[in-house]
Parts: sequence; C-alpha cells; structure tokens
Amino acid sequence: MNIFQSSKSFKQAFWGATLLSVVIASIGVFVIFFGERYHLRLVYAAYVNLLVVLGLQVFMGNTNITNLSHSAFMGLGAYIAAICVTPIQIKKLSLPDAPWGLNAFELDALSSALISLTLTGFLAFLTGLVIVRLSGIGATIVTIAILVIVHSIFMHRTDIFKGKQAFFGIPQVFDLSSIIMISIFVIFVARFFRESKWGIQLRASSDDEKSADAMGVNIFKLRLVAWTLGGLILALSGICYAYYLGTISARPFYFSHVFLTLAMLILGGMRSITGAVIGTILITFGLEGVRFMETGPTILGLKFPEMLGLSGIALGAVIVIIMVVRNGGLVGNFEIEQLFIKTRKNI
Amino acid sequence: MIDYVVQQSLNALSFGAEYALIALGLAIVFSIMGLVNFAHGEVIAIGGYCMMVMAAIAFRNPIVIIIGAIFASVIMAVFLERIAFRPVRYADATTGLLTAFGVSLILQNLFLLLVSPRPIAVTSMYFLDWPIKLGSIRISSLQIFETVATLLAILFLVLFLKRSFLGIAMRAASLDFEMVRLMGIRANRVIATAFAISGLLAGIAAIFIIARRGAVDPTLGFNPVLKAFVACVVGGFGSLTGAVLGGFLLGALEVGMLVILPQSYGGMKDAFVFAVIAIILVWRPEGILSPQKEKGDKI
Repeated sequence: MNIFQSSKSFKQAFWGATLLSVVIASIGVFVIFFGERYHLRLVYAAYVNLLVVLGLQVFMGNTNITNLSHSAFMGLGAYIAAICVTPIQIKKLSLPDAPWGLNAFELDALSSALISLTLTGFLAFLTGLVIVRLSGIGATIVTIAILVIVHSIFMHRTDIFKGKQAFFGIPQVFDLSSIIMISIFVIFVARFFRESKWGIQLRASSDDEKSADAMGVNIFKLRLVAWTLGGLILALSGICYAYYLGTISARPFYFSHVFLTLAMLILGGMRSITGAVIGTILITFGLEGVRFMETGPTILGLKFPEMLGLSGIALGAVIVIIMVVRNGGLVGNFEIEQLFIKTRKNI
Repeated sequence: MIDYVVQQSLNALSFGAEYALIALGLAIVFSIMGLVNFAHGEVIAIGGYCMMVMAAIAFRNPIVIIIGAIFASVIMAVFLERIAFRPVRYADATTGLLTAFGVSLILQNLFLLLVSPRPIAVTSMYFLDWPIKLGSIRISSLQIFETVATLLAILFLVLFLKRSFLGIAMRAASLDFEMVRLMGIRANRVIATAFAISGLLAGIAAIFIIARRGAVDPTLGFNPVLKAFVACVVGGFGSLTGAVLGGFLLGALEVGMLVILPQSYGGMKDAFVFAVIAIILVWRPEGILSPQKEKGDKI
C-alpha cells in the first residue's frame, strides 16, 4: 500500500469508510423494507446527492477551493449515458434531428456508463488544466463559467439534449440496492483519497501553499488529480440519476442544485468524509420538513399559509450560520473512526 | 458599413457600462476586505423592489423614485455588511464567498416568499428610454444615459478616492489594512464606506436595468452580477481600473458574439463569451491588470 504514508492511515481510512458504509447501508436497507414506494424515490435522490457531495468533497475538501460546477459534470454524466443507452426507437422519436448519428445506435448499460465516465472524466481533466493554475477566487469564477457554458449548451442544443423538455425513455437500470453499493464504493474511494499521501499533501497545500510548495509538493498535479477524480465521481452520480429516473432535463443541473449540495457539504464540514455524509443526511431530512411547511399544512388545527421559497431561505441560513459560527462545519476535521480508534491528533 | 460598426460599438459601450458599474461595486469591496460579494445582485434587486413599492404607493415624481431606489440599495449594502459580513471579516476568502452565497440565496427566496416569484411590472423608468436617430444610426437615449452615468460615477469615485480623507484611507486599506488601523482610522468606518459606495453603484445599476426590462423579479440582479464577476476576474480582481476595463471588454465581447454568431446560435452567446473569458484566464491567470501579489517572487 504505497499510496499511503503509513499503514496507520490506511487502517484509519479503512475503518472510517467501513463505519460510514454501515450507517449508509442500514438507512438504505431500512427504507427498502419499511418504506412506501414514494419513499424509495426520495431516498434514491438522497443517495444521488450523497454521491455528488462526495465528488465535491474530493476536490473542495482537500484543496479548499470553492467549486460550483459540480452539477454541470453530473449533468454531463447523466446526458452522455442517457444518449448512449436509450433505445433507437425512442431516440428516433425524441431526437429526430440529432447530429452525428446519435439517434442511430444504442449500447448496453455498462458500456454506456463507461463511455460516459471516460468522456466526462476527459472533460474534467481538460477543464482541470485551467482550474489548477488559478488561485482561489479566479478558480471559483471559472467553475461558474463552466456551469454556465454547460447549462447553455444543454438548453440550446435541443436537437441533442432536449433543453427544457424531458429527455425520456432511459431504461431503468438501477434500484435502491445498487445505489447503496455504489455509495459505499464511492465512500471508500473518497476516504482513501483523503488519507492517501496525495490527500494529505493537498490538504497541507490548502493550509499553507508556500510551505507545501517548498517541501516539494507538486500542487498543480495533485489538484488536477483531485479535480479529475471528483469529476469522475460526479459523472457516476449523474449516471445513477439517469439510470433510475428514466427522464432527465437540463433544469436540475443548475444553480439550485449547486446550492443544495454545497449546503450539504458545508453543514457537515467539507474537510471530512464523515462531515459530508452527516451534512447530506441532515439536510435531506431537514428539507423534507421544510418542504412540508412550504405547502401550507394544518398542524394542530392551525392553518399555516403557503410559503414558497422557505426551503431556499433555510438552505441559505444553514450556509450563513455555519460560516459565521463554525466555519469548519459541524464536525470539522473529525472522522467517524476516531470514536473508536485512538489516533494521534488528526492532521 | 461604417454606420453598422459605429452602431454596434455604441451598443457595446452601453452593455459594458452596465457591467463596469456593477463590477466596480464588487471590486471596491473586494479590494478592501477580500470579500467576493455574491449578494450584490440582491442589493440591485432591492433597488428594483423599492421602485415597485414607491410607484405603488403613488409617488409620481421619477426623481423621488430614483433617489429612493439608490437610498434603499445603499442602506441594504451597509445593513448586509453589519449583520452578515462583519462576523467573517477576518476569515479566509472561501468563508466570505460562501457566506455571500448564503446571503444571496436567503434574499432571493425572501423576495419570492414576500413579494412574488413572478416578474412585477415597474413602468416608472420608461421615461428614460426614447429612440434617437443620428444620421442612419439608431440608438436609445437609455444607452447614452447609461454610458454617461457610468463615466460620471467613475469620475466621482476617482475624485473621492484621490481627494477625500476617507477615500485615501480606503486606498491605503486595500494595500495594508492593519497599517491603516494603526494610524487610528476605524476599520468599521472604512468598510462601511466601501459597502455604501458599492450600494450606491448597485442602485444606479438597478435604475438602468429596470428601465430596460420594465419589471422586477427575485433574480433581477443575479445574472448581471455573475457577468460582472467575470469582468472583475478578467480585469484583475481587486483592481478598480481592472473592473472597469473588464466590464467594457465583456460588453464588447457580448456584442461581438451577437454580431459574429449565426442566428441559430444566438442563445449560446453566454457559452461563447464565458469560453473566451476562460481562454483569457489561461493566458493570464491573475487577470489582465491584477495587482502584483507577493508570493515569494522578487518584486
């Protein structure tokens, strides 16, 4: 295991990821056995968001550069897989004027997913070449530029992406148990990356760029690795999204989703995988409560008014409060295995 | 042909003026406290909503409405600094950026909740807009007003920064804030002034945006501010000259794209503009006129 600094960090990463997987799997299994049908859909969406948050964490948590383009990469992953996997008959109907013979072939689910991962990963690599050269704010602005570019391509190349309309007819490949398995895999990947020597070097460089540079850390290269890995995980989340819902449209891959997942990551604490998981769970459940209030329910005989926009206010408030009160998030640098394993003061 | 070029250049100038106006407001705050104020768009929107309210409660005089809107934006900017940005003043740039995002999200949804998710017509600024013909060139009076107002705002800002006591303090603060405080100048006053100025510029921008669109909705300021950010980054974040330059460059790029791109690609104008911007940033990662950073390199 020479990607790790020591066998200790491997052990920590392994047990941490295992514990989180147990938590994630038990929630999923509980829902599979006791949930109603519409619960399954909600929980599946929560798992997709978990994947997005983990993909975001790999870059943002280790480099401390705010990334706002993650929904764009998720969208790319979803659309590319969807275009490959949708049967020809349906594509002839829904994409009659698609260029480059996009509506004249179909592939099985696995090869579509692989193509989607390869292409999105390649795009992430290309954009990464630009991103890693920029310093904090500049990099964030370029991620916004990526989001806007991808979104306007989705919206205006209606011959390929259908724009605001739904891209339909994607066969349902995954169910809840498959995404639980994928989530566990991604938790392991993200956690291993965090504890690997690249992850540690990256986090050191985000704390003090000059010193890390002086110690011989190749910051650009490592950021590029983190960015590309993050892009791959985001593409995977997009594939999972498309493979369950059956229809996708460009709208969900824009600012509202960016903010939602960002709030999840920030609430838990972006430097730790445990934080990412906790934040996703808290916001998912919290938001269901807020959405219930939004519709204007009657509680104990009291009729509440319909309050559109309440969920947005709640998300914004979470971000602001966390940033003001505790800007490392709820758990900061803490990882779950520290409850059980005695470690030296965590880096 | 020459008429066409002049016509499009004038268009570019007025587009650029709007971006420059907003970008200046962002840059002045950033240069002093390193905050990327994404909530600037909502300061603009407050100006718009204020116009809507004032028009609804029967203020006929447009001058009163203009002054009211600018006043509302200034108050809003200073208020936001006090309640949201003061606690994160000394935190790192990422914390400030995310706080500003949160504030922006809260305000947008408050407008949605308290007013309406749909656009509401505000017609009281239409009087600024009438067509003018100069030979064969057709422009709108609004474009002239906008360009002139921006140039005036830049002029006054330069005078303020060079001549007034607070202005000099602000310029000093952008170089070394600690030193300025050691000289006995209150940090709160310098920063509040910076926010007040950014609010003022946002208010002016709000008037022109409303005059052109004739309606106000919760995301009124979001897209213009996104563009203005890009302008700031291209110009060199933290440099006021850079913000103005970036703003006009962006305006020129947008109009250029509209001219060059075929009709069917018109909707993808933003994609092309942002792509060009990304290329510029590859060429100059810190922006065109960025202040020299001390990163261990020889100065």
